[in-house]
Parts: sequence; structure tokens; C-alpha cells
Amino acid sequence: MPAVTPYRSAVPRGRDGFDRLLLAEWTKLRTVPRWMLALVAAVVLTVFAGVLVAAGAGTETAGGGGGERPAPDLGVQYQDGGRFLHRPLAEDGSLVARVADQENSHAWAKAGLMIRTSTRQGAPYAAVVVTPEHGVRFQSHLSIVGSADDGPRWLRLDRSGASVTASVSADGTDWRRLGTVRLRGLPPRAEAGLFVGSPEAVRAQRQFGGENVTSVPTVGKASFDGVRMDPDPREPWRGHGPSALTGPGARDHDQDRSRAGEAGPDGVFTVTGAGDIGRYQYGHDTSEMVLSGVLVGMMAIVALAVLFVTSEYRQGVIRTTFTASPRRGRVLAAKAVVIGAVTFVAGLVAAFGTFLLADAVSGAGLVLPALSEGPVLRAVVGTAAVLAVVAVFSLGVAALLRRAAAAITVVLLVVLVPQVVASGMPLSAARWLERLTPAAGLAIQQTVVRYDTAIGPWAGFGVLCGYAAVTLVAAGWRLRRGDA
Amino acid sequence: MHAEWTKLRTTRGPAWLLAATVAAVVAVGAASVASVDVSQCPAPTECHEDTTRLSLLGARLGQATVVVLAVLAITNEHATGMIRTTLAAVPRRHRVLWAKAVVVTVAVLAAGVLGVLGALATGRAVLPGNGFTAANGYPPPSLTDGPTLRAAVGTVLYLVLVALLALGVGTVVRDTAGAVTTTLGLLYVVPLLVELVADPQWHDRLERLAPMTAGLSVQATRDLDRLPIGPWAGLGVLAAYSATALLLGAVLLETRDP
Repeated sequence: MPAVTPYRSAVPRGRDGFDRLLLAEWTKLRTVPRWMLALVAAVVLTVFAGVLVAAGAGTETAGGGGGERPAPDLGVQYQDGGRFLHRPLAEDGSLVARVADQENSHAWAKAGLMIRTSTRQGAPYAAVVVTPEHGVRFQSHLSIVGSADDGPRWLRLDRSGASVTASVSADGTDWRRLGTVRLRGLPPRAEAGLFVGSPEAVRAQRQFGGENVTSVPTVGKASFDGVRMDPDPREPWRGHGPSALTGPGARDHDQDRSRAGEAGPDGVFTVTGAGDIGRYQYGHDTSEMVLSGVLVGMMAIVALAVLFVTSEYRQGVIRTTFTASPRRGRVLAAKAVVIGAVTFVAGLVAAFGTFLLADAVSGAGLVLPALSEGPVLRAVVGTAAVLAVVAVFSLGVAALLRRAAAAITVVLLVVLVPQVVASGMPLSAARWLERLTPAAGLAIQQTVVRYDTAIGPWAGFGVLCGYAAVTLVAAGWRLRRGDA
Repeated sequence: MHAEWTKLRTTRGPAWLLAATVAAVVAVGAASVASVDVSQCPAPTECHEDTTRLSLLGARLGQATVVVLAVLAITNEHATGMIRTTLAAVPRRHRVLWAKAVVVTVAVLAAGVLGVLGALATGRAVLPGNGFTAANGYPPPSLTDGPTLRAAVGTVLYLVLVALLALGVGTVVRDTAGAVTTTLGLLYVVPLLVELVADPQWHDRLERLAPMTAGLSVQATRDLDRLPIGPWAGLGVLAAYSATALLLGAVLLETRDP
């Protein structure tokens, strides 16, 4: 039997590539003048709203809403307070003490050992401290180098040149290392000693149908024993920083004066101090304020993304689209890629434009950080990313509902209403809305960590992406199952 | 007029939207009254909580469905081309708009009354349990009380005026997506931006001008001196918006080709 060659068509296979689909969808988007207009409107509205906010920002923005900023020149994120009882420490030396007792003035009240280059405000430091409710931690500038659970009360700082190592112990003999940091510019005679601080307490009170958030200063108090400095500098202890606040029971806080009351005759030091060192949580997030103009531009983007789907249903073009490309899931994917990419580019223009223009028009009331800072760049690019993901989310909702009015209303409600309704609700309820709804995505605009931060930048963006992904999958499922 | 009523009655959408409005007003009101407790205040008597306003907070969400209903009443006809038939039957075009306005008003009025009564009843049931008792200075919301009656009637009127605003915008824009986006943006986004204006003088001025914040001031029953604008005056601001949109819509309907 002769071998039969199976028939093969000589016609080359038509290109069924995803790139063709992308091109087709891009052409659809590009050629509708109204849609391009909506895109331009989104950019213009965003920039306009941002500039308006920047121009309208009064001087109180600089003054601080919650508490008073300890030192304006340190940046919005850093504070340097608390009481520091110190003596000079040589290049190779150590400091040991036991926190015998600490008042629970605040969950994050701090009592422990600190070494710093000088007593100047904002000087580089490293500190190992005990807190009433969060165990022991070793911190330097804004970062936490190491931490330990509650229990060890013996603290030790070892200095070797510019590197500082912190250790903890439960009994003073068996030490565990927490971490090491290098302090830039640590002089041969560094200042080391005992530190006591206590951050401001946030008090939320409901009155007149809204919640008032005020910060109340607290005063920390702790006693130390077994204080040993090696080598012994043979110099008196000197105090630095406010020992307490003015008011009843306040003590004078002359700086650099030996205080007999703090170093008791029996070797027990009792130190009181107010203020905190490290991250300052009441700073104004000026970048976020300016970039929030994106809410206006987002309206146009939502309408555009919804119409990108529903207008095809309205006019029946969707049947042609699906006939040309029967794999419907891919059509949806192509639409999502096109609308996402286009709005991302438009968002970049809008966000950078807003930031640069706002910087130009803002007066003394509003100080914007440099665009080159990591969190600021994240906020600006993140704004564009939020627009893109909201567009994809709108697309998914539109493909699910197939009705323009319904889809636009649903998207706008879930993105905006948490902020609208939340104004009358208690803060705790509002925080949950800001965590669970797609509005969480706007968290990526944060550039400073505040006491009222509901969700981290990336986590919030993740929530929004999750919503977009789920609606897209559901829309794809509905497309495959149902009629067009 | 009768024809417009039939249009509204025989399509499925409006009934759903009206039901959703009632549900939104009651549900958000219930969530708000349930989440507020006197323990969050410095002292129960110093809370200065406007319990009526709190119960009626749902109007902020319910207005969204009202907007969709009113916009669709006109733009649906444009989208399907039905408007040509309608206008051919009624050559005096502005009368079509007035008929639609009356029908939408009646429908939203009914939904608004149901929603407001439901929300107030929920507030009466829930608030005392959270410490808002008459002994602490918070008598349960009652319609026999003048300010509460004003808030209740005002909220219903607020929803009606929002509907008329949306109808006007729909007539001007003629496109569902555009009209819904514009109206919701005017209602929701403007107050959000106003919040960001730090200058107190401009902040107050803009709060008086924003349709939602001005209009909803009618819900206040106490501490009226803290409002940016008086209750009825605030509703008047919203009414001015609605009237302008409707008049503009009527003029354009007369002069433009459908």
C-alpha cells in the first residue's frame, strides 16, 4: 500500500497573534475623538485640582495639625526629643545598665541606652530601649535595627570605632546580640548614656458629629541600676533635653547641667523625659495632598474605560469583535492591556505635571519634598499606576454589567464613597473602609508614615489590584459562558 | 405626562433603582448609628451628636442611584433614538422635559419618604442602646420635633433636587456615561477637594457652594451655628443648581436637533 501523505493546506496560517488584537483595540480607542478628549480631560483635571490644592494650602499646613513639630529642619519624618543623661565614651568601650523600672506612660515609651555623635538636634544616634508593651528594640535614625521580645531588662552598647553593637540579657551575664550599626562621623569622644522618652499620645474624641484627633504629650519615667561605663570617663553625668514638660510638677530643664537628683547615691538613676526619638507621625503629607487631585481625573478615566466596553455592546460591534476573534478572554485581555497602558501613560503625565506645577505655585504654606526621594517617586508613579488599575477594574465591571450607567456608578461608589461616607463615621470604622475597599489603592500616594495611616502603600495598592484581578476573571468567565 | 409615567413604570430598571435607593438610605444609616457610641465622646452629655443627621447619613449613598435613575430617564431615549418619536408626538419639546421632571419627582419622592422613615426608625431603635438616651440629652429622633421634621422633609427634598439636577445634566449632555460621571463628580468629588483646601475662608466659601455639602446641611438639627450655611439656604443652593441645569436642558432641547 502506498503511503498516503495527509493533506496540508499551502495557505499560510493567518496571524492570530495577541499583538494584532492589541493593535485593533488601540485603533478603536485612538479613533474615537470623544475618548481621546476624555483622556486629555483626565490629565488636565488632575493637574488643575492638584494645583488648586497647592495654591489654597494655607500656612497652617506648615505648622502641623496634630502636634508641634520638634525641629522643622530635620524633615517631616524625624524627631529628636526625650531626656538624655550622658558622659563621653572612648573609641572602644561599652555601656551597660539595667532598666529596673519603667512607667507605662505610653505603649511606645522608651527607656534605655543611647550613643550619639553629639547632643545637637538631629545628630546620628543608636539606641537600645525597653518599651512597656513592645519589647526591646535597637534603633538608629528612622530604622529599627533589631528587636527582642519582652523580658530582658539588661541592655548593653558596645562601641568599636564607628560601629555600635547592642546586646540584651535577662540576667546581666548571658548576652544576646541584637544588631550592629555604623554611625557616620562618630567622634573619638562620643556621647553615651541613659535615654528616657515618651511619645505623644493620640486621643480621638467624638464631638459635633465628627472625630477630633488631638495629641497629648506624655512624660516617661524610668529607673536604671547597674550602670557601668567602660572605660570610666571620670566625668560627671550631664543632662540634655527636657526632663518634663511645663505644668504641675515640672522641673527646670536647663541643658548640660549635672543633675544630682537623677543619679542617686545608691547607683540608681531615675530619669524622666518627654518627647520621642525616631519617626515623627504627625507630619503633613504634602505630596499626597497635591496628588489627591487625581480623584477628579479618575472620574473621566472610569467613564472612558467603561465606555470602551459598553459602547461595543450598545452598538453591537461586540459581535463583530467576537466573530473576528472567537477567543473572548483574549479580547478582554487585549482591552485591559490597552486601557491600562494608555491610562498609565496619561497618569504619568498628569502626576509629574501636578507635582512640578504645584511646586512652582505653592507659596510659603506648602513645602514639597524633592521628587528624587524614594517615597515621593513611588507616590508619583504610583498615582499613574492607580489610574491604570482603576481603569482595568472599571473595564472588568463594565464587561460584567454591560451597562454604562450601572458600571460607572458602581466603580465611582466603591472608589469614592469610603471617603465621602467615612466623614460622619468613627475613625475606626472609616479606617476599615479605607483598608477593604478599592479606595485602599490610593494609599500608594503616601510619602510619610502617619499615626492615622490605615494601610501601607504597597498593601493598599495590592488590595486595588486584587479587586481588578477578581473582576477581570469574573468578566472573562461571564464572556465565555454567555451570549454577546 | 401619562406617557412618561408608563415609560417609567414598564421598564424594569427604575423600580430596581428606587428599591436600591431605599435600601442604601436605610442600610448606611443603620451602619452609622450602630458604629457610634457615647463612649467615644469626652462625656455622654458633651457629645453634641446630631442623632438625626447621623441616622440620615445614608442619603449620601442613596443619591447615587437617584442620579442614575434620573439620567437614564432622558439619555435612554437619546441612546435608542426613541426621543425622536417622543418629540414628534409632543412638538412642544420643553413639555416633555417637564413631564419627565414631574414623574421623576414623584418616583423619588416616594422612595425618599420610605428611605427616610426607615432610616429614622432604625435610628430610634439602635441609638438608645449606644447611650444616646433622652437622659443624656439625645431624645430619639421623632417627626413631631421641629428640627427633625425639617431634616426628614429636607432629606427627601434633597434627593428630589439631586434627581432634577441629574435630569437637567442628562438633557444637556445627552450621553448616559457623561451625564452620570458629571453629576456624581459634582456631588462627590467637589467636597473631597474642598476638604483639601486648607485656607479656612476659602474652605467655608467652597463648602457653601458645593451642592452636596450645602444641600445636606438641611439634615442638621442642632449646633446650627457650626454649619457653613443654614439648612434651608443650603437646600436653596442645591435647588439653584437643579434649576439651572433643567433650564439649560430645556433651552437646548428646544434648539438642538435630537
